[in-house]
Amino acid sequence: MGKLLSRGFMCGAAIWIIFPIIVVCLAALNSGRTMFFPPEDPTLARFTEFFLTEEIWVRSLRTSFVVAFSSAGLAVLAAWPIAYGLWRRNDRGSKLIAGLALMPFALPPIVFGVGLVFFWGYLGALGNIWSGIISHAVLFPALPLTTLSIGLQSIDRAHLDAAATMGANEATAFRTIILPQMLPFTASGFFFALVLSFNEFIVIFFVSASGYSTVTVQIFNSLRNGFTPTMAVGAITFLTISALVFSLIARFGNLPQLLGSDSSKSS
Amino acid sequence: MSDLVLENLRKQFGSFVAVDGADLTFENGKLTALLGPSGCGKTTLLRMIAGLESPSRGKIMLNGQDIAPLTAEQRKFGMVFQSFALFPHLNVARNVSYSLRIAGVDAKTRRARAQELLELVQLGDKGRNRIGELSGGQRQRVAIARALAQNPEIFLLDEPMSALDAKLRNDMQMELRLLQQQLGITTIVVTHDQREAMTMADRIVVMSQGRIEQVGTPQEIYHRPANPFVASFIGNANLLQGRTIKNGVRVDQTELIVKGQGELVPGAEVTVFCRHEAVRLSTDSLGENCVPGLVTFVRDEGVAREIHLETPVGRITAEIPGSFHETVRIGDRLIAELSPDTLHLLPVAEGVAA
Amino acid sequence: MTALPLPARSPFKRLGLLHVAVILTLATIPFLLVFAISFGHKVEGAAWVWSLEFSNYKRFFVGSDYPDTVSFLYLKYLWYSVWYALVAAVLAVATAFPFVWQMIRLSRRAQTLWLVFFLCSLTFSEVFIVMGWDILMSNRSGLPMLFRETGITDWLKANGGLDLLREWGLATPRNVRFKPSQFATILTLTYLVWPYAVILLYPPISKIEREVIEAARTMGAGPLTVMRTVVTPMVRTPLIGAVLLLFVFLLGAYVTIAVFADPSSHTLSISVYEAVRGATLNAPFGAAQAVILLLTAAGVLVIGQRFMSAKSGGR
Repeated sequence: MGKLLSRGFMCGAAIWIIFPIIVVCLAALNSGRTMFFPPEDPTLARFTEFFLTEEIWVRSLRTSFVVAFSSAGLAVLAAWPIAYGLWRRNDRGSKLIAGLALMPFALPPIVFGVGLVFFWGYLGALGNIWSGIISHAVLFPALPLTTLSIGLQSIDRAHLDAAATMGANEATAFRTIILPQMLPFTASGFFFALVLSFNEFIVIFFVSASGYSTVTVQIFNSLRNGFTPTMAVGAITFLTISALVFSLIARFGNLPQLLGSDSSKSS
Repeated sequence: MSDLVLENLRKQFGSFVAVDGADLTFENGKLTALLGPSGCGKTTLLRMIAGLESPSRGKIMLNGQDIAPLTAEQRKFGMVFQSFALFPHLNVARNVSYSLRIAGVDAKTRRARAQELLELVQLGDKGRNRIGELSGGQRQRVAIARALAQNPEIFLLDEPMSALDAKLRNDMQMELRLLQQQLGITTIVVTHDQREAMTMADRIVVMSQGRIEQVGTPQEIYHRPANPFVASFIGNANLLQGRTIKNGVRVDQTELIVKGQGELVPGAEVTVFCRHEAVRLSTDSLGENCVPGLVTFVRDEGVAREIHLETPVGRITAEIPGSFHETVRIGDRLIAELSPDTLHLLPVAEGVAA
Repeated sequence: MTALPLPARSPFKRLGLLHVAVILTLATIPFLLVFAISFGHKVEGAAWVWSLEFSNYKRFFVGSDYPDTVSFLYLKYLWYSVWYALVAAVLAVATAFPFVWQMIRLSRRAQTLWLVFFLCSLTFSEVFIVMGWDILMSNRSGLPMLFRETGITDWLKANGGLDLLREWGLATPRNVRFKPSQFATILTLTYLVWPYAVILLYPPISKIEREVIEAARTMGAGPLTVMRTVVTPMVRTPLIGAVLLLFVFLLGAYVTIAVFADPSSHTLSISVYEAVRGATLNAPFGAAQAVILLLTAAGVLVIGQRFMSAKSGGR
């Protein structure tokens, strides 16, 4: 009885989470200009529009990719020294640095967005795509910082002592011991940042200043003018990318460990 | 190659003194065990020799030079860690040849050396295995091979057997000792297991609370402990508190005769030391140093049995061969004979648990 | 062997310092700018100039024409920001907690699958989620149409349910109507952070030792008693922590409010956007509103921190 109840509860939760997503996905099959649910006269024409024929979507998808990949890469590069310093020294200074680096992610993004508008506006770079990339790169080091810290925690310090007794200095030990063991965590951090950048709306909405638009911004702009089923194709694309990335992280990394569960107990 | 000499070596963490002025000589080609309870500073001492901790004061002399200012990577003493610290991302052979790779040795030489060492530790066919595929004993052999790959001047081992189960531990102790003798390399092993130290070492350094209590061969340490701490830490001994008299010692009201301890100055506070296995038990004997006792506990260990007695001189434990006194039970009365040549007098030290 | 001097410093030090300086500049300067500009002066019909005046804050709290007239419009926006965020955060944590409690009993593989699922929905952009609920809620498609087609609307009309819903602002005389409404807003906000709540609660709950629960059960506690007397007190700190984090996150929610909330119950985020990038274009006033939003978030976090450290005592 209790088991049945708990199963029912979990199924209910799953349905509650997945219901609007399914609605969006099915809406993509609409043939007309307006969204209906359930779809009327299903067709796949919206997919060709989104990926190939409609200039506006093709371009914003490309922009989304450029912003996500570059900013995730930069975020990882930004996070590495901070995570390494935090792990190696673990003093007040390194904690303060990490805290400040986490700030843009921890505070309401709209405030950071406003600040970035002023910042880039001051530099005359508002609406440049690279200022958008840097904005995301500053927003998202929190994720690689977390995965890298978790990874570094799991490195046995005796490994470094062992390397030292065999003649490795800090740089050599970093290259031959730490870096190889940290690859999965670096990749996880990169992909977390990638997916979040991909889906981020508010900051990029502020800094893009109609100079360019990512898919999320384009969708929001279209939302205000009413739906088109093509937008739903964007949703499906994004969802697929997220699912793919997280499945990869789960497959090659230890997802429960990355999310902070006690891995020693159940693995 | 010369001896490794520590001169007044000290290590302090804040106000805690981990190693307090150690003066030691590690003879070339010999195996020395640093023995003591956990927290006695033995691991800190080893890590200072390896260069993983920098001494607060003192010198580490090797080949006539103070190597204390050198870092671990400059000393390149091989070390085997308690957890073995094998690199999980490298296979067995690459772990072994790690020191050669970072020193820029070419791949062919590296492979050959790794193979040579793996054969030395009887793992010649495991070179391509991953670390995760090895058993505990195999991992330890890899750790040993890895530490030896760079031909270190000093070979260091920190509690190398603690991750192994009891039976494997016995085998590995013998194996490690044979390997060390075969290579003739100066070796320092940290351990808290006196049996392990006695199995492997040429010399044992007993440490307690950052201080060196005694240095000597296993026989010396066992039979002639320098103080009550060593006496109680190594093997099993009865320790009685007393005061010297002309020809022996008085414990409470009982006078015990002591032989072979040189001239005795009457009236000095001493600790009387007698090994469990040196106590003889009988029902009627009335020889020298006989004390009557009441049996309070019997522990049967198969080959031997331990009989605890309450006597006028205090609690006495006797270890006798398993077949003797088979019918002894709690509450029986027996005579314990502490023959004069098995008693040793030690200076009284404060804060020692017998 | 020759004695070499110790390497004076880590090889990464210089590189690291430069790097950290760049990151910190980029991470902090925008916030400092917001703060500085909030004291700026708006020039009518033009941009703004640096200044040190409190008129923007005055306008926020009592309106620009004070003391002639008093306006609490922006305080009302702030109130709605706090209200939506608080209700949605509490709802999400309260429902996610029992869910996670069930989830940690599953096999590791099943847990990982669930986590992947939640991470996907967690990262799914706010715009898509709003789009999904919008389709579901909009009057020409989704639920209202479903209600009409299936006859639920008629049934509601017949037994007076529709009148009740009208009182709650969820219906028109002809059919149910979910948009705009506070109901739709809070529903979507809760949905938005629900997976987030699961991910936040998963680590502390998964670390509860099974033996503690079993010990309680051997002393005669049933599942509900265990939940009430053992589990909940053990994870009280993470529960409050999760509510606070979600609250801060929701405080800046924009898309949901823009789409689902009635203009009369809009929040500070909307008004910030209008001032900074939208129709009204008053950067200093937008900045001042952003500062207030930030201070609200910081205030709640500090109070929460105090509360938690007082509760958890010696831990």
